[in-house]
Amino acid sequence: MNCEYESAFVPQWCPGCGNFVTLDCLQTALCNLNIKARDFVIAAGIGQAAKLGFSLKCNLLAGLHGRALPLAMGLKMANHQLKVLAISGDGCFYAEGGNHLLHTARRNLDVTMLASDNRVFGLTKGQAAPTAAATFTTKVHPEGTGAKPLEPTLIALSAGATFVAKAFTGNPEELTSLMEKAIQHKGFALIDILAPCISFNKVNTFAWFKKRVHSISADHDQNNLAAAIELAQFDPEVTIPTGLYYQAKKPVYGRNKKALQGESIAIRTQNYKPERVKGLFANYQS
Amino acid sequence: MSNSRNIVIAGAAGQGVDSAVALAGKVLLKAGFQLFITADYQSRVRGGHNFMRIRFSDQPLLAAVTSIDYLLALNEESLLLHLPDLKNDGLAFVMAADATNLKDQRIITLPATVGPKAAQGTTFTGIKLLSLLFVKLGLSMAIFKQTIEREFSQKISQALLKTNLDTISEIATFFAPDFPQVLDFAAKPEPRRMLVNGNESIALGMIAAGIGVYTAYPMTPSTSVLNVLAGCGPQLGIAVEQVEDEIAALNAALGASYAGARAATGSSGAGICLMAEAIGMAGICEIPIVIFDAQRSSPATGMATRTEQADLLFVAHVSHGDFPRLIIAPANHTESFYLSAEAFNLADKWQIPVFILSDQAQASADCSVEEFDLEKVSIDRGVIAAEPQSNEMLRRYEVTENGISARAFPQLSQWLISSDSHEHNEIGQVSDDIDNRNRQHQKRMRKLKYLAASLPAPEIIGAPADKLIICWGSTVGPVLEAAEIFRAQGNQLAVAIFQYLYPLNRERIEKVLAPFNNIYTIEGNYSGQLGKLLQMETSVRITGHIGKTDGRLFTVEDVLQNFSKLVGG
Repeated sequence: MNCEYESAFVPQWCPGCGNFVTLDCLQTALCNLNIKARDFVIAAGIGQAAKLGFSLKCNLLAGLHGRALPLAMGLKMANHQLKVLAISGDGCFYAEGGNHLLHTARRNLDVTMLASDNRVFGLTKGQAAPTAAATFTTKVHPEGTGAKPLEPTLIALSAGATFVAKAFTGNPEELTSLMEKAIQHKGFALIDILAPCISFNKVNTFAWFKKRVHSISADHDQNNLAAAIELAQFDPEVTIPTGLYYQAKKPVYGRNKKALQGESIAIRTQNYKPERVKGLFANYQS
Repeated sequence: MSNSRNIVIAGAAGQGVDSAVALAGKVLLKAGFQLFITADYQSRVRGGHNFMRIRFSDQPLLAAVTSIDYLLALNEESLLLHLPDLKNDGLAFVMAADATNLKDQRIITLPATVGPKAAQGTTFTGIKLLSLLFVKLGLSMAIFKQTIEREFSQKISQALLKTNLDTISEIATFFAPDFPQVLDFAAKPEPRRMLVNGNESIALGMIAAGIGVYTAYPMTPSTSVLNVLAGCGPQLGIAVEQVEDEIAALNAALGASYAGARAATGSSGAGICLMAEAIGMAGICEIPIVIFDAQRSSPATGMATRTEQADLLFVAHVSHGDFPRLIIAPANHTESFYLSAEAFNLADKWQIPVFILSDQAQASADCSVEEFDLEKVSIDRGVIAAEPQSNEMLRRYEVTENGISARAFPQLSQWLISSDSHEHNEIGQVSDDIDNRNRQHQKRMRKLKYLAASLPAPEIIGAPADKLIICWGSTVGPVLEAAEIFRAQGNQLAVAIFQYLYPLNRERIEKVLAPFNNIYTIEGNYSGQLGKLLQMETSVRITGHIGKTDGRLFTVEDVLQNFSKLVGG
């Protein structure tokens, strides 16, 4: 595809990695929406999935493990007119950065969070992700994790996210379409992307997911939070619904802040003079 | 010390010590006195024992003193606790019921029956004792009343306001006309003079510098910067957020800085600990950021409302790896304003994390300062890349001789900007190539070398002398005043004031410190942290250290006693 985000950088993912599909879908979605490269920033965490931004010619702030969402928060505070995509994997978003997910969702920050979920850590070679089954065994967990897997959509729904979806890299049309909707959505949008790891997860393989995923039935009411929460309480070992669980129009982060109306702070900063403090001096004079 | 008086107001938490002090401060400022007000709080909401010192003078003040001229004790315990520090010619003001067992001619008691009906008994104690003090000082009761009306008319009922004003009138007439004691110095009213605490100075400096985003998690004693900025955020267009933790605070501030705002965060030592990893990210991503550390008693939770200067070596080294950073420690409230503003220029110029190191003693001390001169503040965003013809990746990490590469901001420019916490190549793409790593690492470290060379030498006061005292931050005020007294007593002693604590300008420091045979540090810590840093980075050798770890600030008397012990006065 001839696209303005095309980059010469070749991602160092294993051949067949689900992240290649995510990258293709994202490029397509951005092109379809005609979003200019200068108008969006990718805030990335650390991990294999987080490296996706290097393969696009775009603005990128590649930060620390777990901290893509706080970076996104700061980006939107300085320039609320930027489109911001937070991109990383299950370990980054759901383990190291779990606290940020709760609070960014409840603020309804206008950011698109793309979480690559393969239930395993790739970069550190095969440890259990928070989404792994209790019986999933690794070198660290030879007896299984013994812990209930997190369901990211359920957490996001309960925390206040206003766009919650799940996708599978085996269905790129659905993933692209969800990305387009998520990027256009005003508010916190999560797509938990099931992107099988071919090297370190020999259980939850492409075929394993393929057998269990199914698109949400047409009669699901996407504007009904209770129905979405009901939908998100599936057994992840048995059947996994993909598609848009929930979408709602709610005030986004900053709507109550005068500082975040109109021209962005980044633009206004260019004209600031020290005199802006002058009016405050009277508060301290007798 | 002669041209000043020291008032102590003491009582239990919840008895209104702080509101009495706030009121007294405003009255004395209006009357035209210079002030230095310090608080000694316990970390609790009710009970316990709190006291505050209000020192006033016709000269600028930069330190607290121990000995008391006027003690206002709101209960008996406070009277007994502070009487030992009351000067022989000092006076204590108490309600009669709080001094029934004491025979001391310095104690002036106020019968519970004095005052309007609504204020009789042990209520309105703060206002009553303040009235007594102001009558004694011969201050204008009109200023006192105006101040109360201005401060409280919006906050309390008209009836309550009237009771306060009537209380002042009745107490003023209760005492004989010859009661006032004439001060040996005169007030010099200056309407533009300001009364600010250290944190307010810092917040005002940040605003003058053009701060756009401040993100923090509340932690004593840093929180008032968050409060000031949040308070004027809507009016001035500053986005302020109380985020979920200090990790988010610094990461969000870095996101904001990358996007083009001037951004900062603030906390105390424990919160800075949580920021450690992101401080390194600022280093390798070369994102300008200002980090305010209001030091408090440490380690871990320490003593929440007590002071210390023990974070210096921590912030000089915090985060793994080698990368440039800058530590600035304002020595007083005036510098807190100008240096906080300058911190943003230095952060932008060198594209590094800049620490403003303060402490609880400065944060909570109210000091009178002359109105800040905005002519002395400039805004310099550093090197910005010229616009390209079309969307291109910026060589954000272009290798240059001084290590500084031009910046641009997303959407504000056609440049596309990649900033990366991995080692990266010139366009910000992850790379572990050997030559690239060496070039990028050396480029960053060259900034440290050039930055160090640009920093001023410490100011030396009181030379020539054989002996030199080194100090920084909140310790500077009491050291300077004590040294002046010490010299007036016939001793030789010089003082070096350090505002730029890291990196150290080796050449300049060695040169100005060369004339002194014996160099001592006075710091609010155990180990003499600036002395250690100087010995690591320069050929300066430290003879001895005066430390303090009890969480209380140095008073002038504390320092004087130590001079005598250490230097043999």
